[in-house]
Amino acid sequence: MKSVIFDIENWREIGATLSRNKTRTFLTAFGIFWGTAMLAMLWGGASGLEGMLKRNFQGFATNMGACFPQRTTLPYRGFNKGMSWQLNDGDIAYVRRTCPYIELSSTMNFGGASVKYGTKSNGGRIQGVEGDFFKMQLPVLYEGRLINESDVTQTRKVAILGKNVADELMGKESAVGKYVSVNDIYFLVIGVVGQTSEASIGGRMDDSVIIPSTTMRRAFNKGDKVDFFIYTAQKGHTPKDIEPFVWRAVRTNHPLNPSDNDAAWFMDISEQFKMVDNLFLGISILALFVGAGTLLAGIIGIGNIMWIIVKERTQEIGIRRAIGATPRDIITQILSESMVLTAIAGVGGICFAAIVLAIADKITFDPKLGSAHFQLMFGHAVTIMITFLILGTAAGLIPAIKAMRIKPIEAINDK
Amino acid sequence: MIIELKDVNKTYPGAVPLHVLKGINLNIDRGELVSIMGASGSGKSTLLNIIGILDNYDSGQYILDGVEIKNLSENRAAELRNRMIGFVFQSFNLINYKNAVENVALPLFYQGISRKKRNMLAMEQLERMGLADRAHHLPSEMSGGQKQRVAIARALITNPSLILADEPTGALDSKTSKDVMEVFRQLNADGMTIVIVTHDPGVGQQTNRIIRISDGIITPDNV
Repeated sequence: MKSVIFDIENWREIGATLSRNKTRTFLTAFGIFWGTAMLAMLWGGASGLEGMLKRNFQGFATNMGACFPQRTTLPYRGFNKGMSWQLNDGDIAYVRRTCPYIELSSTMNFGGASVKYGTKSNGGRIQGVEGDFFKMQLPVLYEGRLINESDVTQTRKVAILGKNVADELMGKESAVGKYVSVNDIYFLVIGVVGQTSEASIGGRMDDSVIIPSTTMRRAFNKGDKVDFFIYTAQKGHTPKDIEPFVWRAVRTNHPLNPSDNDAAWFMDISEQFKMVDNLFLGISILALFVGAGTLLAGIIGIGNIMWIIVKERTQEIGIRRAIGATPRDIITQILSESMVLTAIAGVGGICFAAIVLAIADKITFDPKLGSAHFQLMFGHAVTIMITFLILGTAAGLIPAIKAMRIKPIEAINDK
Repeated sequence: MIIELKDVNKTYPGAVPLHVLKGINLNIDRGELVSIMGASGSGKSTLLNIIGILDNYDSGQYILDGVEIKNLSENRAAELRNRMIGFVFQSFNLINYKNAVENVALPLFYQGISRKKRNMLAMEQLERMGLADRAHHLPSEMSGGQKQRVAIARALITNPSLILADEPTGALDSKTSKDVMEVFRQLNADGMTIVIVTHDPGVGQQTNRIIRISDGIITPDNV
């Protein structure tokens, strides 16, 4: 028996048959080409869409939580309800000492600011932060450096200007090393930052002046008061897990009713991101669904065309059988032809999809946020190819078996 | 004896079973040029199919060149057809997207012979048929007589025990028919056994023996 795969004669025969029947080959190939291309584009496109949306949150810690004190809603220990209270340094120290699962944290203070440099002034916002703040919200550092732990512990009078503030005050000049007046107190500018993410907490960095939290409290008479407290959870935990520990810490220090769960508002960003993740799960499922449909349509198309081809070639197959082709020769021929076609057209389709995705990637490229990843992973491309090869061959099998069953006399008498 | 048929019966099953061959006894010797003649529906095509191992028979015995043909697997039948029988058909049955030399070489493809060798052998056969200059033409670019000669070349290429021709001149004009018959006579003169199925008396006249079949039985007026 002749070997099927290693016999060059077989391949020559397949090549000759395919190249002599150009229209038929083209039509079949186009069906497969389109099927693989659609599937690949869908897959890469879904990844690109996800990338486009997700890059808006780039540099924004997705497991971040925050604690905002509110007015009390229940009376406690002689204090009436509706009492306002504030976090302070003692609370934060206690929280940091006792709360597990916290990875990064920063106190935050806010205020309005009138920033002046020379004759120019800018009304903006002032934020007092600690060093870890910049790990939770990655900034774009245009020049200089960020606020670090020493700035905070030594209460240095240094400031980071938002990109817009710096542009307005200094124009094209470098801001670093200059002194600006913030609410009539002079600060040394150590850096200029912008915001990476479209999402922010406490206002866009580009429009703010950021100074060490300790300096802010001392310079602007906030005493030990902290406006709010942000933190991220360690891997494997959510900010929700941290909440009860923060509650316990602040209830120890403040006369808050143990049942008063509205005395502070806890934000859990991870919940918002879970929604976004669910959205993408939905998109992925939809893409999968449509993709499976495309695949199915493509496969049925292959089967259909193979069926027509076998019908059209009944006489030819009959002649081949009459002059000595075994049923196995025929089934091998039909299946090899469909596999060769699927392989070539499939690779073509994936290449086409890759080009389309590359163009989409180019168009949506953002100089600041980078690529949206309109890309097809190599593994996915291989998966599509193998699926098409296996299912395409399976779809060709029924017509091939029909071809195999053709009796030479039927075909030859079919005049 | 190259063909030996003993009491061969064939019935096509169906709502009304059709008893087509009713005990055929037939011997054909090596080197004969025989025609099988009969009206349509007489069973001559069925007989040809059985002789050509394209169809099975129900009872009796058929020995082809010393091999008993009975209950063969598809693969064995294909192999025997390939090696022992060369077919020539009324409608030529060439593969329309293959040129003359490829058509002639096709039986050798199924023997696993390399392309170079089979094309060489195919060219030899085409030369023998006087068609060397048409070797690279497609069937659609050839006349009926040329096509039939290509088909004869294809039948000859495996060096078969016999040539089986089914109405070989049925689609040809009288002049070309004569040429094709001349080819058969020449082959026969070279020693090839040839069986021609036809209903054309003119073709029958040019063979050495006429076997008449009527209503599934061979009529005994053999020459």
